[in-house]
Amino acid sequence: MKQLRYDHVQETLYYEQLDNGLELYVLPKPGFSKTYATFTTHYGSIDNHFQIEGDEPVQVPDGIAHFLEHKMFEEPDGDVFEKFSAKGASANAFTSFDRTTYLFSATDHVEDNLITLLNFVQHPYFTEASVNKEKGIIGQEINMYQDNPDWRLYYGLLDALFQKHPVRIDIAGTIESISKITPETLYKCHEAFYHPSNMMVFVVGSVEPERISELVKANQSAKSYERQGEIKRFYEREPDAVMELRKVTKLPVALPKCLIGFKEVAETPPGATAIHKEAASRIMLDILFSPSSESYQSLYEEGVITDNFGLEYNLYPDIAYSAVGGDTKDPDLLVEKLKAFIAKYVEQGVSEEAFERSKRKKIGGLLRMMNSPETIGNEYTKFKFRGMDWFELLPAYEALTLNDVNQRIREHFDMNRMSVSIVTSN
Amino acid sequence: MPTFSTAEWNGMRLHVLPTRQFKTFSIAMYIGIPLKEETVTTTALIPHVLRRGNERYPETKQFRERLDDLYGAGFGFDILKRGNYQIVILRMDIVNDAFVSGESESLLDAALQFLSDTVCRPVLEQGAFRESYVTSEKETLRKRIEAIVNNKIQYAAERCVAEMCRDEPYRLLPLGRVQDLEGIDAAGLYAAYQDLLQRASIDLYVVGDTTMEAVQPLIKGKFALAGRSSAVPYAPLREERRNVEEREVVEQMDVKQGKLNMGLRTNVTYADDAYPAALVYNGILGGFPHSKLFIHVREKASLAYYASSRFDGHKGLLMIQTGIEIANKEKAEEIIRKQLEDMKHGVISDDELSKTKAMIINSLRENDDSAFEQIGYHFNSVLSGKKRSKQELIETIQAMDLEQVVGVAQNVMLDTVYFLRDRGGAS
Repeated sequence: MKQLRYDHVQETLYYEQLDNGLELYVLPKPGFSKTYATFTTHYGSIDNHFQIEGDEPVQVPDGIAHFLEHKMFEEPDGDVFEKFSAKGASANAFTSFDRTTYLFSATDHVEDNLITLLNFVQHPYFTEASVNKEKGIIGQEINMYQDNPDWRLYYGLLDALFQKHPVRIDIAGTIESISKITPETLYKCHEAFYHPSNMMVFVVGSVEPERISELVKANQSAKSYERQGEIKRFYEREPDAVMELRKVTKLPVALPKCLIGFKEVAETPPGATAIHKEAASRIMLDILFSPSSESYQSLYEEGVITDNFGLEYNLYPDIAYSAVGGDTKDPDLLVEKLKAFIAKYVEQGVSEEAFERSKRKKIGGLLRMMNSPETIGNEYTKFKFRGMDWFELLPAYEALTLNDVNQRIREHFDMNRMSVSIVTSN
Repeated sequence: MPTFSTAEWNGMRLHVLPTRQFKTFSIAMYIGIPLKEETVTTTALIPHVLRRGNERYPETKQFRERLDDLYGAGFGFDILKRGNYQIVILRMDIVNDAFVSGESESLLDAALQFLSDTVCRPVLEQGAFRESYVTSEKETLRKRIEAIVNNKIQYAAERCVAEMCRDEPYRLLPLGRVQDLEGIDAAGLYAAYQDLLQRASIDLYVVGDTTMEAVQPLIKGKFALAGRSSAVPYAPLREERRNVEEREVVEQMDVKQGKLNMGLRTNVTYADDAYPAALVYNGILGGFPHSKLFIHVREKASLAYYASSRFDGHKGLLMIQTGIEIANKEKAEEIIRKQLEDMKHGVISDDELSKTKAMIINSLRENDDSAFEQIGYHFNSVLSGKKRSKQELIETIQAMDLEQVVGVAQNVMLDTVYFLRDRGGAS
């Protein structure tokens, strides 16, 4: 396997692409008891309109990637969870906008569990009855989220920000949209997106890279995958203007909740440009809104916000967005105040002192994350599918200048691309 | 496998786990007192005020900036109830100097200095906590308590415990009671803090690439807690066996999904010899995706997305939770009751038993990969007075037979059925 050494964090990543296109990454963690393994397809809720080279374009029901994730756990000889349990492994899966991850963690029988993981994800098995049964379960999952104010707040923001882009669609779909899912559509999506050339395996923990490589190669070469044509994904071009300036959701909450967000619709080339933008954007939001910021402290002191106040930035190849906010007694006042802070920083920029402090904080934060095998596996995979190397984030922070951040502030905060989402009881 | 070494100093216990597994030093301070109506709210409010500043960094912005300067050191707190105690945990997590180039300061020393300043030298005005911090943190705490209702899963779980333990201190939320807040002022709260520091059981944990010998001198000048001569042990829990009468509570709210929670008493707690069997009991019933609740409520009947059970070993309670269509309440409850009956009658396959053992053992071993989880496991023995090494627990579980699990099942009593539903229909 090829070795990628990251001296600044004292980690070595082993990498190899198999003949069938599958990418395999192994990160040994000496001293750890557990091994965490993920098998991820570059396929998520936004991929509902696509075309495989040589085939017709297909439009599939909203929520199908997530539905497929649920159904993969069923095999002709029973539930896959049982197989993992028998080998003491804790298994799970999750679907996000742009990827679906299947995973396990185990302290024993790592090789058996890895084979189980590879096999069940590559073996679709759906029946009419089992697909219908799942509609009841996922229906309850959808209802659970409908009752969750933080979830409604966040998705309300995306719904308000985006007019066309499929991030505005609920990952699980709706009870109505999933009612249209059939075994045939599930097989079609599996065939399109679960080809090894669209997937990656990440293994982190107490493992020997060459041993894992041999195992995965033997497993894959026994399966006959034909070369697959390119997958074309159709995302409608997102216009500059937002869908709605202000979206209000009524739900019983003790205190109203409010998020503001800004979208970006410019494409970001993968690699160095993307990682630089990611690093600069994170530092920007940290300086402006983290607990040590002027805005946080004054809003907290005035009682406008509580300690439930947060921020995030998400960068995709074709879009990006920020989200800032939390609980507040007065959403409109919070929005006014946040806009005033933003206007001030767009005008004046941030200080050298605040910039250096935030950089140190971000570097320390990354190092702390590297204690967790789960975080390493998940972050690396997420970044990879967005055209970035997660281990390059630390040097990207180091290379950043004050000017980069001030420029990012001026680019990102365009009041024409801002929406507000509010959840309130009345 | 490295293990904790323990020493006593100035009325507190110091536990150090030397390990090179992590890129950080992890520090935790556990401050515990009996859970009581009179002190629950002041105890919960105290860490909120402490996190606003200390003598060295009196303004909150300075306090937070100091943490940022220490490579974004993590600083946080939790307030829990465990058995008959309310426990405040202050945590810090800081990068090992070896990973940051050109750092002259010892980051472990700096973190311990910061924590000790925060605990021992808070910001005072006229011999009391700073008034403005107390006023605003009372408001924050009030909002936090009121916000529990936002998360319906958590809300239903808390309500079920409160109904079940309505005549015990355990009914109290670890965050305290809203109605107490008005009567708390800066002077009273500072007096309550002095009292807490006098009486509490205090444990300080350090995990990372260091040793007891290296940590002791760092502690000595810093954690000067006046008036403490010896470390206060936790009193073991003595639960009387109660006569349980089943009770149902229905609450209505504007919700889409119904939450069905069931509270049971196992009559087993951490220090008991039956504790490992109670863990296995919970695992077979509802701890995992191969467990009875998941299989029967979710997979077979398709009634729910989540259906599980959780064993609170310090109080001996077993809590079942599921989210269902409101009209399916009777159906779901019947299925759950059937599983409880099956457990009592030993309707448990070898397969269920062996999978459950494997899963519990795996999670115990995985716990070694997190510094704070290792601390949590060690604290179980401090709190309960029962020393049970992880290895010992693993071996006991490995050797367990069905009879031992059924033995636990015979003593599990259903106490409270709690249902959160919408406002429509009959109440």
